[in-house]
Amino acid sequence: MKVAYEKPKVEKTIKSDLELTNEEKKELYALVLKSRMFDERFRKLFRAGRFAGTYFSGVGQEATAVVPCYKLLPQDFVGPSHRELGCSIARMPLRQIAAQIYARSHSPDKGKSHPCSYGYKPSNIITPAFTIGAQAVLATGVALAFKIRKEPYVALSFVGEGATAHGPWYEAVNFSAVHKLPNVFVVQNNLWGESVHARLVAAFEDFSHRAEGVGMFGVSIDGNDVLKVWETVASAIARARHGEGPTLIEMKTYRWYGHSEIDPADYRQPEEVEFWKKKDPIARYEKYLLDNRLLSPEEKKRIEAKLEAEIEEAVEYAEGGEYAPAEWALEDVYADFKVEAPDR
Amino acid sequence: MGRVITYIDAITEALDQEMARDERVFLIGEDIGLYGGVFKATKGLQKKYGEYRVIDSPISENLIVGAGIGSALVGMRPVPEIQFADFVSPAMDQIVQQAAKIRYRTGGAWSVPLVVRICCGGDVGGGLYHSQMNEAWFVHCPGLKVVMPSNPHDAKGLLLAAIRDPDPVLYFEHKRLYRSVKGEVPEGDYTVPIGPAEVKKTGKDITIVAYALMLVWGMEAAEKLEKEGISCEVIDLKTLLPIDKKTILESVKKTGKALLLQEAPKTAGVMAEISAIITEEVFDYLDAPVMRLAGLDVPPIPFAPPYEKFYLPTVDRIMKKARQLKAY
Repeated sequence: MKVAYEKPKVEKTIKSDLELTNEEKKELYALVLKSRMFDERFRKLFRAGRFAGTYFSGVGQEATAVVPCYKLLPQDFVGPSHRELGCSIARMPLRQIAAQIYARSHSPDKGKSHPCSYGYKPSNIITPAFTIGAQAVLATGVALAFKIRKEPYVALSFVGEGATAHGPWYEAVNFSAVHKLPNVFVVQNNLWGESVHARLVAAFEDFSHRAEGVGMFGVSIDGNDVLKVWETVASAIARARHGEGPTLIEMKTYRWYGHSEIDPADYRQPEEVEFWKKKDPIARYEKYLLDNRLLSPEEKKRIEAKLEAEIEEAVEYAEGGEYAPAEWALEDVYADFKVEAPDR
Repeated sequence: MGRVITYIDAITEALDQEMARDERVFLIGEDIGLYGGVFKATKGLQKKYGEYRVIDSPISENLIVGAGIGSALVGMRPVPEIQFADFVSPAMDQIVQQAAKIRYRTGGAWSVPLVVRICCGGDVGGGLYHSQMNEAWFVHCPGLKVVMPSNPHDAKGLLLAAIRDPDPVLYFEHKRLYRSVKGEVPEGDYTVPIGPAEVKKTGKDITIVAYALMLVWGMEAAEKLEKEGISCEVIDLKTLLPIDKKTILESVKKTGKALLLQEAPKTAGVMAEISAIITEEVFDYLDAPVMRLAGLDVPPIPFAPPYEKFYLPTVDRIMKKARQLKAY
C-alpha cells in the first residue's frame, strides 16, 4: 500500500501583518501579564510546598517567550527549554500547564518528566529535555520536514545564551542556514547561564554574532520591548514561511530570580538586578498602552481580575488531581511492547 | 532456490523499496547521496529520489540523528545513517536523551518512528575507529530497540520492519558481512519481526547464542563440531533490545549448557545480560557454568593484523570453548 503524508490544510500564502491592531495589542498585554501573574503565583505555591521538585521562574523574560508564540499557526512547532513558561502561556490551556507542574495523573506527561517541562502535543510544543540546546536540533529537523513537504510552517526554538556554546546547537543553526530551513532561533541573553556570566560564554556581547559564522541572518534586540520583539519575530517568521531561510534573534533580557527557586542567585550584584527590574518588559508595555490610550486603568483592573480568576481555576484543577498509580511507571516505553513488572 | 544477493544489496533494496512505497521516508548522513555511501549501501538512491530524500549532511552526527528525530515528530519516517559505529558518540545525546525518552517523557503523547543505520564491526583491518561494536551502550537504554541482522534475508526484512516501527530502532549492520555473506532474499515486500530470536540450527549438547558476524562464525564452528560429535543448537538473537528470553531459555533448558559469543569487549556486554537471564531463570537446568567468548577488554580492536586476529573470537576459539564446555 502506498503511503503519502497529509497535505497542508492551510493556504500557501499566509498573510503576515507586522502591524498589530489595537485589540491585538491589548490581547498581547493580557498574555504577558498572564505569564507574570501565573509565574509569581506558582513561585508562592512552590514555597508553600504545594508541589514537588523545583520551579524555574521566567519572571522578567515574559516578552521573549510569550510574544514569539503569539499568533503562530497550529501546525507551527515550538521547542522550548525549561524556563519558557511564556511559550506555553501563549499556546496551551492554562489548566494543562498547572497540571504539568503538579505532576499528577492528569498532567500532559502523566507526571513523568519535570514540573517545568511544559509540552503539549495538541499545541505542537515538545516537552523539553534538560540536555541544554537539544530542542534547537529537534526544531531544525521539524523545519527540514516542512521544507521536504513544501509546507509553509515554521519551527521556533528557545535557548539561553549559555546554550549557544553547546556543539549540537551550533550543528543545528549551521545546517538550518545551509538549507535555508524555516527556523527562528531565539537566544534569550539574560547574562547568566545558571551562575556563569555571558562574558565566559562568548568573546563578544552581542550573541547575534553567532549567526555570522554560519551565514545566517542574525539580529540583536531589546528583549524587554514587547513591540520590538513582535516586529522582529513576525518578520523572521514571514521570511521563514516564504522560503527565505532562518533567523537568529538575540533578545537581551534578564531573569529576576534564581536559576531555580532554590537558587538565591547571590553571584549577581543587587545593582544589576535593580537596573534590570527598571527595564521590566510588562511595566514598559503597560505604560505605552496607557500613554497612548490603548488601555484604560479600568480595563487593566478588569484584565487583572479575569486573569486572577483563571489562574485560581487552573490551580484548583491541578490540585484536584491525584498522583497516577505507580505502576504507570512501566507504561509509555514502547508503543507495542510492555515492560515486565519486576517480581519484588 | 530463490534469488541470491549480498547482505549490502539486501539493505539497499529495502531502502529503495520503502522509499518508493512511502514518501515520508528519507535518508540523511555523511557521503550517502552523490557518493552513494562509503560502502555503497545507498548507491543510486539520490539520483532516483532527489537530494531532499537522500540528504548529504555535513559532519554533524548529533544533527544527523536530531534532525531525524525532529522530522519524525511531525510525521516523517527518517532513516539517518551513522557512517561508522565509531562515530555515533557525538549523536549519543540525541539517541539516548531524545529518541529513547520522548515517548516516555511526554506520557505517550509523542512518538519517534526513526531508524538509525549504524555500520559496525571488525575483521576488516579497520583499526581503532573503523571497527567498533558499541551496541551494548544502547541496549542499556529502555525506549530504544536494537537489531543486528546476520544474513541478507534478515537484513532486508528487519530494515523494513524497523522503518515501519512506531519507536526508534538502531539498526546495526556489520561491514564484514556486507559482501562476504550471500543468501536468498525475496524480491517483494516482507518483514522480519523485531523481537523474536531464531534457532538457526538445532542441537542437543550446547546452546550457542550470537548475532551478526559471531553468528556466522558460530554456525561455521557448529558445523565442524558436529563432525566431532558435539551437537550445538545455534540461536541468532537478531534483536538485542528487547531480548527474546523465551527462545534462549527453552534451548538452554534442553541442552543444559550455554556458550555466548560476542565480538565486543567482554565486560558488561550484551552477553553479560543473556548470562544473567539464564542463571536467574533456568539455573536448575544448567549442567555447566554459562561460558562467554568475547572480544578483549581493550578500548577497541587494535590495527596491526596480528592484533586483530588476537582480539577476535575466531572459529577456532569458538570450537575450543565448545569442547571445554562439552567436557565439563
